[in-house]
Amino acid sequence: MLDFVRDPSLYNFVRGPLVWIAFLVFIGGSVYKVRSLILMAKAEKVVLPFINAKATVRSLLHWLIPFASRNLRLNWIVTVFTFPFHIGLVFLPIFLLAHNVLIYESWGISWWTLPEGLADIMTIVVIVSCVFFFFRRIFSPKVKFVTFASDYLILIVTFFPFLTGFLAYHQWLLPHKTMGILHMLFGEIMLISIPFTRLTHMFYFFLSRAFMGSQFALWHSRDW
Amino acid sequence: MAVEEKVVSREFKEYVRKPNPDWGLDETIKGLTPEKIEKTIKAVIGGRSARIKGVIETCIHCALCAEACQWYLSNDKDPTYAPVAKMRMTIWEMIKRDGKVDAEFIKQCARIVFTECNICHRCSMYCPYGLDITFIIGMVRRICFLLGVVPQRMIDQAYAQSTTLNQVWLSQNDWIDTIQWQEDEVGVDFKDLRIPIDKEGAEVMWLPLGAEPKTGPYHIERTAKIMYAAGVDWTVPGKDVWDSSNMPMFIRDFVTMQRIVRGLYENAARLRIKKMVLTE
Repeated sequence: MLDFVRDPSLYNFVRGPLVWIAFLVFIGGSVYKVRSLILMAKAEKVVLPFINAKATVRSLLHWLIPFASRNLRLNWIVTVFTFPFHIGLVFLPIFLLAHNVLIYESWGISWWTLPEGLADIMTIVVIVSCVFFFFRRIFSPKVKFVTFASDYLILIVTFFPFLTGFLAYHQWLLPHKTMGILHMLFGEIMLISIPFTRLTHMFYFFLSRAFMGSQFALWHSRDW
Repeated sequence: MAVEEKVVSREFKEYVRKPNPDWGLDETIKGLTPEKIEKTIKAVIGGRSARIKGVIETCIHCALCAEACQWYLSNDKDPTYAPVAKMRMTIWEMIKRDGKVDAEFIKQCARIVFTECNICHRCSMYCPYGLDITFIIGMVRRICFLLGVVPQRMIDQAYAQSTTLNQVWLSQNDWIDTIQWQEDEVGVDFKDLRIPIDKEGAEVMWLPLGAEPKTGPYHIERTAKIMYAAGVDWTVPGKDVWDSSNMPMFIRDFVTMQRIVRGLYENAARLRIKKMVLTE
């Protein structure tokens, strides 16, 4: 049944051209998204003149520090899951040893890497957090009311690269190479979908906080 | 006659409310046509300004804004009162259906945005992204206003302000007359107290709310006493606009809203005052 995965052409495609496509789409799409929003804001005339650099930095720091804001303290369970989740999401792919080895083999460059044990724990945290968010969508009435199929979809898109990566590392369930193909495929799907789904909050977070932080500064109100 | 107990939304089964008859909502929707609704929705949100696009494309539907809302907290944490739920039931649905909604839906939107939200901005303070949910609610209010579907009391005040530049249908003569009457009243306690009208170069210009000369003139008397005791060099404008409330703002009637603010600043510039002091 899994004969097709033994075909080297699939492996070569997922490892070769698709990586390039995924990164080009991810970087190009993200630049386009951010640029288009800033240009739209510029056309609106009432956004950019009020952006306050000091308030922006303060607002970003305030919300990037766990439990600094009132709402993150109120919803402390979410905070406990969401911060390790996002840290893993952003830093694991960049600093994972296995990824670094691949880059070193291709281009001869590498950078600082995470200890393997720590990376393993961080992956588990990401996977468990995804499960938590999934159950939160189902069981919290306020979240359930605003949940759409797309919400589950973006959760699945973030979940599978980490699950398959974890399984590939431990060589469980499927042969290592098959799992590796799946892992690369899901990772590429995630990269491609970042600019075109609400995963863009990766970039828009900074823009919307800049806007609202500056508004609070304008109103002399506290950033909660 | 049997009284209808509950209103259950057609689209959202969770949205259950008591009936709330209002001429401004029930009667005005009768004149709406689907074409008119679609055209209005597209005129307001069709261009997708950065502020609308930013909110719609960033919101991850986490419902962390819910705890910010006094409506949510004071209604036993009913999920339909959460700020994000209000967006979901109004603008998300309009975008999803590309503006093709019916009059009944507009009435429901009007009920949600006018009577279940105070546009207080607390949800933006609780949102991890700082999304301007209030701006979105304001845009839905604008759609409803342009379609004429506004609670009767709100549209009454806004009409008053667009006609007389104050929310209580008080003419300029009545305003000056009320000020002078209150000056007479204060004279019992303070012989040399004056309420200076149109005093050029004064330090402070006091701007009351419309209701003060209309239904609570003693507020003017008391303000005068406070200013007198504090030794403030103050004045009140003798020309429109003197009402510092801005009811058109609440229905997002941008034209009248701007006329009010412009009028206040024109008075300030005319009298060359340094500070404006507003009631409330």
